[in-house]
Amino acid sequence: MVIQKEKKSCGQVVEEWKEFVWNPRTHQFMGRTGTSWAFILLFYFVFYGFLTAMFTLTMWVMLQTVSDHTPKYQDRLATPGLMIRPKTENLDVVVNVSDTESWDQHVQKLNKFLEPYNDSIQAQKNDVCRPGRYYEQPDNGVLNYPKRACQFNRTQLGDCSGIGDPTHYGYSTGQPCVFIKMNRVINFYAGANQSMNVTCAGKRDEDAENLGSFVMFPANGNIDLMYFPYYGKKFHVNYTQPLVAVKFLNVTPNVEVNVECRINAVNIATDDERDKFAGRVAFKLRINKT
Amino acid sequence: MLLLQKTPRIYSVELNGAKDMKQTDKGDGKDKYRGLQDNCLELGKNQRKEHLTKEIDLDDHKLSNKELETKYHTNIVTGLSSTQAAELLARDGPNALSPPKETPEIIKFLKQMVGGFSILLWAGAILCWIAYGIQYSNDKSSSLDNVYLGAVLALVVILTGIFAYYQEAKSTNIMASFSKMIPQQALVIRDSEKKIIPAEQLVVGDIVEIKGGDQIPADIRLLFTQGCKVDNSSLTGESEPQSRSCEFTHDDPLETKNIGFYSTTCLEGTATGMVINTGDRTIIGQIASLASGVGNEKTPIAIEIQPFVHIVAGVAVSIGVLFFIIAVSMKYRVLDSIIFLIGIIVANVPEGLATVTVTLSLTAKRMAKKNCLVKNLEAVETLGSTSIICSDKTGTLTQNRMTVAHLWFDNQIFMADTSEDQLKQTFDQSSGTWASLSKIIALCNRAEFRPGQERVPIMKRVVVGDASETALLKFSEVVLGDVMEIRKRNHKVAEIPFNSTNKFQLSIHKTDDPIDKRFLMVMKGAPEKVLEKCSTIMVNGQEQPLNNTTAEAFYTAYMELGGLGERVLGFCHLYLPADEFPETYSFDVDAMNFPMSNLCFVGLLSMIDPPRSTVPDAITKCRSAGIKVIMVTGDHPITAKAIAKSVGIISANSETVEDIAKRLNIAVEQVNKQDAKAAVVTGTELKDMSEDQLDEVLTSYPEIVFARTSPQQKLIIVEGCQRQDAVVAVTGDGVNDSPALKKADIGIAMGIAGSDAAKNAADMVLLDDNFASIVTGVEEGRLIFDNLKKTIAYTLTKNIAELCPFLIYIIVGVPLPLGTITILFIDLGTDIVPSIALAYEKAESDIMNRKPRHKKKDRLVNEPLAVYSYLHIGIMQSLGAFLVYFTVYAQEGFRPSTLINLRVEWEKDFVNNLEDSYGQEWTRYQRKYLEWTGYTAFFIGIMVQQIADLIIRKTRRNSIFQQGLFRNKVIWVGIASQIIIALILSYGLGSITALNFTMLRPQYWFVAVPHAILIWVYDEMRKLFIRLYPGSKAGGDKNMYY
Repeated sequence: MVIQKEKKSCGQVVEEWKEFVWNPRTHQFMGRTGTSWAFILLFYFVFYGFLTAMFTLTMWVMLQTVSDHTPKYQDRLATPGLMIRPKTENLDVVVNVSDTESWDQHVQKLNKFLEPYNDSIQAQKNDVCRPGRYYEQPDNGVLNYPKRACQFNRTQLGDCSGIGDPTHYGYSTGQPCVFIKMNRVINFYAGANQSMNVTCAGKRDEDAENLGSFVMFPANGNIDLMYFPYYGKKFHVNYTQPLVAVKFLNVTPNVEVNVECRINAVNIATDDERDKFAGRVAFKLRINKT
Repeated sequence: MLLLQKTPRIYSVELNGAKDMKQTDKGDGKDKYRGLQDNCLELGKNQRKEHLTKEIDLDDHKLSNKELETKYHTNIVTGLSSTQAAELLARDGPNALSPPKETPEIIKFLKQMVGGFSILLWAGAILCWIAYGIQYSNDKSSSLDNVYLGAVLALVVILTGIFAYYQEAKSTNIMASFSKMIPQQALVIRDSEKKIIPAEQLVVGDIVEIKGGDQIPADIRLLFTQGCKVDNSSLTGESEPQSRSCEFTHDDPLETKNIGFYSTTCLEGTATGMVINTGDRTIIGQIASLASGVGNEKTPIAIEIQPFVHIVAGVAVSIGVLFFIIAVSMKYRVLDSIIFLIGIIVANVPEGLATVTVTLSLTAKRMAKKNCLVKNLEAVETLGSTSIICSDKTGTLTQNRMTVAHLWFDNQIFMADTSEDQLKQTFDQSSGTWASLSKIIALCNRAEFRPGQERVPIMKRVVVGDASETALLKFSEVVLGDVMEIRKRNHKVAEIPFNSTNKFQLSIHKTDDPIDKRFLMVMKGAPEKVLEKCSTIMVNGQEQPLNNTTAEAFYTAYMELGGLGERVLGFCHLYLPADEFPETYSFDVDAMNFPMSNLCFVGLLSMIDPPRSTVPDAITKCRSAGIKVIMVTGDHPITAKAIAKSVGIISANSETVEDIAKRLNIAVEQVNKQDAKAAVVTGTELKDMSEDQLDEVLTSYPEIVFARTSPQQKLIIVEGCQRQDAVVAVTGDGVNDSPALKKADIGIAMGIAGSDAAKNAADMVLLDDNFASIVTGVEEGRLIFDNLKKTIAYTLTKNIAELCPFLIYIIVGVPLPLGTITILFIDLGTDIVPSIALAYEKAESDIMNRKPRHKKKDRLVNEPLAVYSYLHIGIMQSLGAFLVYFTVYAQEGFRPSTLINLRVEWEKDFVNNLEDSYGQEWTRYQRKYLEWTGYTAFFIGIMVQQIADLIIRKTRRNSIFQQGLFRNKVIWVGIASQIIIALILSYGLGSITALNFTMLRPQYWFVAVPHAILIWVYDEMRKLFIRLYPGSKAGGDKNMYY
C-alpha cells in the first residue's frame, strides 16, 4: 500500500483561504453563492423560528401546570431556615464603637427593614388577631383574596425597636440588637399548635462566656402562632413576618463570638447536618472597643 | 510510506530495492525490522555491506559438503533424524526472530495520555487547581470542590488513556494473531522423508528444499541448485535478482553465491540447502537485534480523526476564551470566569470517543470470519474506498479447475452443469452415441482418484492427473458411477499417452461385453487431429460415412465451442476386427501395429475453468457500488472474454470494437469507438501503448479485460489506474505479482494459491481465494466508515446540550443547569455503550449503490455532519433539556422569570433567605439541593433525547423503518444501559450528594419525550427529502447529508 503525502506551501494555503472567502469565478462567498446564503439563512430563520415557537408552547403548557398562588411541590422547604438582620457579608456583625461608619450601614439597613413594622402602618393595613392560635383563612371553595395579615408592631421589639433611640439599636454603645426571623414557607403551621420561641447561645463554652447576657424581645423570644400560616406573596399581600430581637448587653470586646440562635418548635428540626441554617442561624459578633 | 522508484521504469521481476522492505517484512509479524531499514537507508549499499560484514562471523560457505555434514552431524541425503532435530530445537529454540525492542509500553501509554483531547482535559484539571489556589490564597477555608473536580478530570484522562492503550494493544494482538494464521512452511528432509513442517521448527543441519516463490526459511548453505535466483533486497538493498549456485565464489558470506539468507525470497528455480543458522543467529536476526525503535505509521482512520479533534478542540478553546472574555467584561470575578472556562471545555470534549477504536478491531475480526485476513488495520478502511479492482482470473474469478461445460454429439450441442457441487448431469443421455462417447471418456483417461475418498463428494476428491483428465474423470464419475470399476472390467492392453506433438491420446481395451470379443480402441485429442483419422461419424448410435455436410456440422460446433473460450476435445473409437486382432494379439505402441485411420468419430466435449457461482453477484454488486472491475489474466483473449462475459465483467449487451466490426461487417478501424463499452486488450497491444494511450483505454471503456499479460504488465495497469485518481485493489498470487501488489493501494493475496512473496507484499489475504470475499471486504470497509460517522455524529450532538447550560448561565444568570461532573457522567456513563452499539449497525441498503469515497474529498467528519449535529439536533436537545430544567424549578417555586439574573444571590453562601416566586424563603442548602435536582433533570433530559438521537443515527439516508428498528440488537442494549445508568445515578446514588445527583420525580423523566419525538420526526423528514430529491441543493444533500 502506498500513501503519498502532499505538503502545501504557506502561500498555497493563503491562496486557498482567499479563494474560500471570495471566489470571483463562481461568485462564492465562504463557499456559497448569494442565493445559497439567502436560502440557508431563510432555512435557519424558519427552523429556529419553529423551534422557538415549539419551546414557547411547551413552556406555556408546563406553566399551566403551575398555580399562581402556591407552588406545586414544597418538599425542599420542610424545615424553614432562620436568618438574621442586619444582613451582613458572611453573617459577621462587627461593630467598632468609636467608628460610627462601621455600624451606620447596619443602622440604615435596620431602619429600612423595620419601617413596615411601624405601628401606624400596621394599624392601617393589618388586623389585630387573637394570640396563641393560627390565623387560618381557608378558601372554602371561593377564592378568599386578598388574605388578611396580623399586626406585628415595632413597639413589640422594646429596646430594639429603635424608636427614639439615641443609641441606634445599641450599636453606638456596643450593645447591639440583632433581629432573628424565620423563613416564610407557604401553608406551614409552625409549632404545630404549641407555643415556640427562639433561644440564643454561644456556640462553644468560651463563646458562651464571652457572649455575656442578652435580652430578647418579645419576651423569651416568643413567636406567636397567629402569624401562621403564610399564604404566599400573591394572597397574603401585607403579611408581616414576626421577628425576635436580641440585645447583647455585655459582650466581651475585641473578641469574635460565635452565636447560634435556634427555634424551639415541635415540628422544626434543628439538627440537620447538611443544612446549617435549618431552624437555626449562626453568626459572628465582634465588638471592637478601644 | 513507500514509493516505487518512478524512473527508470524497469518492470523486471525485481522487488524494487530496500525501500519496499517494510512491506516484505510485514509478513509474519516481522515489521520489527523497520529500525533496521532505517539504518539501511541511511547507509550506502557498499557501506552497508561492510557494516554488516563486520558483524558476521561465518565460514560455512567455504566448507565442502562433507565438512558440512560432519560439522552439523547430518546427512545430505537422509537429513537429520527426528530425535536429533527435537534435541537441537530444544537447545537452540524455535527458528523465529525474537520480538525487537519495541517502543516501551510506558511511552505508548503516556502517548495516549497526552494525545487528542487529553491535553484539553489536562488544561481543565490544571485550571481547576489554579482556581483553588486563588480561592485558597483569599480564604483559607474555601471549599475543596475545585480540587476534586480537577482530580476527576485527571482521572478521566487517565481512564480513557488506559482504555485507548488497552484497545491499541488488543488490536495489535489481533493483527499478530492474524499473521500467525498465514504460517510459513518449509519442505524439509528428515528421517529420509520429505516433510512439510512449520518453518519455526527448523534446526541447524536440516536439509530444506525451496522453490520459486518461497521465502527462505533460515540461513542455508546451498547444496544443489537449478536456475535459482533470490531477491536479497531486504538484506543488502540489491534490487536485481541474484543468482545462486553451490559454488563458493567469495570470501564474504554476503557476496558468495552458495548461501541463502533467512527472510529473502527465492524468485525462480529450485534449490536444496542445509540450514546453518536459525532464529536470532541468522544474518537478518543479528542485524534486527542491532536495530531498535519502531515508528508507528498513522492509519487513515487516525488521519481522519485528527482534523476532527483539531476542529472540536478549536471550537472548545475559542468558545471558552470568548466566554471568558465576556464573563470578565460582564464583571464576573476572574475566578468564576476560570470555572466557566473549565465547564465549557469539559462540555465540548467528547470524552467517550476513545471507543471508536473498538470499531476497527471489531471489523477486522468480522472480516476474518468472512475469509478476508487483514494484515494492517488501515487496509479495512482503504478497501472501503476502492474504486477499481484488478482481478486475476484463474482461481479468483473461476473455480480453478477444469470442468466439462459442453458436449456435441448427434449434431447437437448439450450443456453440462458446471456449478461447484454438481451431483448429476441433466442433458439427454438416451442416445446410442452417448453410450459410446461416455465409454471413451471413461476409458481414454489416465487420471485416478486417490484411494480412500469414497465418502468425499466427487467434486472434492483429490485426483492424480492433469487438469483436463481430472475434469473428464469427475464428469464420468458423476454420469456413469464407479469409473475405476468400469476400467477394471475393460482391461487396458495398450496405451499412447498424450503429448504435444501428436496431440492425441489412445488406448486399447478388452471390452466387458462377454459376446463381443473385439478390442476397443479409444482416442481423444485435438478435434481436427482426431477428425483427420476418421472416416465415419456416429449419429444416433449408427455409424455414417463422414461427408462434407457432417464435416461442416463438426466445424461449426468446434468453432462455436472454441468461441466460448473453452478447450475442445474430440473423441473417436474403433472396434478392431476380431479376425485380425485375436484375443492374444500383442499390441506394440512403438511399432504402432494397429490401424490409425478410418476411425469412427463420436463427439466433441469442451471444458472450461468455470466461474465461481458467487462471482457474478459480486460483480453486479461492484458495478452498482461504482467499482470498476478489470480482469487481468495471462489466459487467451477468447477464454478471458468468455469468462468475463459469463461473470458480468463484460455485461451482456456491451460489445467490443471487434464485436461491432463483426456485426456490421466492417473493418475494425471504421468502428466508432464511442459505441464500444468493452475492450479486450492483449499483452502485446499493451506493450506498444504509450502511457496516454493506456489512460485513454482506461477512461473510455467501462469494461476492460487484459489478456495474455505478463505479471510485470499488471504493474503498468495498476499505475495507469492510479493516474485516474482511483483507489486500486489488486489481486495476485505469484512472486511476480509482488510489485503490483505493493504498488496498489490495497494488495490482495490469495491464501491458497498465493506464494509467500505475494502474501508478504499484500495488505490483505483472501483465505478462500474467492473474488466475492473482496466485495464483502469492500462492504465492510464502507460500513466501518459509515458507522464511525454515525458514532461521531451521535457523540457530538450532545456537546451542544452540554455547552448551552453554561452559556445561558453566564449570559442570563440562571442557576447552573448542568454541573461539570454531571457532564462527565453523560460522556463517560450513559453514552458509552450506545456509541459502541453503533459500530454493530448493519449496512444501509444503499451502501453498495454509492460511488466509492474520494479519499481526499469525502472526509469522515464533514461540514454537514458538524452543522447538523451541532446546530440542528444539538439545539433541539438543548431546548428539550432546558424544558425539564425549567419544569423542575417552576414546580418547586422558581418560575422562569424569577430565575433570570438570580445567579449572584443564589450562589452566596450566607444568603439563607432567598425569596422564590411565591414569597417563600430558601436557605443555601435548600437551593443547592434544588440545583442538583436541576442537574439531574437536565441530565435526564439529555439522556432521553440521546435515545432518540441514537435511533436516528442508525441510518443516514434510509428511513429507520426501512432499516428495521430491531435488527441491531446491540442498540437496544445501549438504550437499556442508558436508562439503567440514569436510574442508578438518580435513585441508587440519590442520597450521595457528592455526585450531585438527586432523586427525580418520575414524571420529570417524560418531560423531554415530546422533544425526543420531534428529533425523530425531524430527522425522518430530512431523510425523506434526501431520498426524494437526491443530489439537489434544495433536497439538501450538500447541507443535510453527512
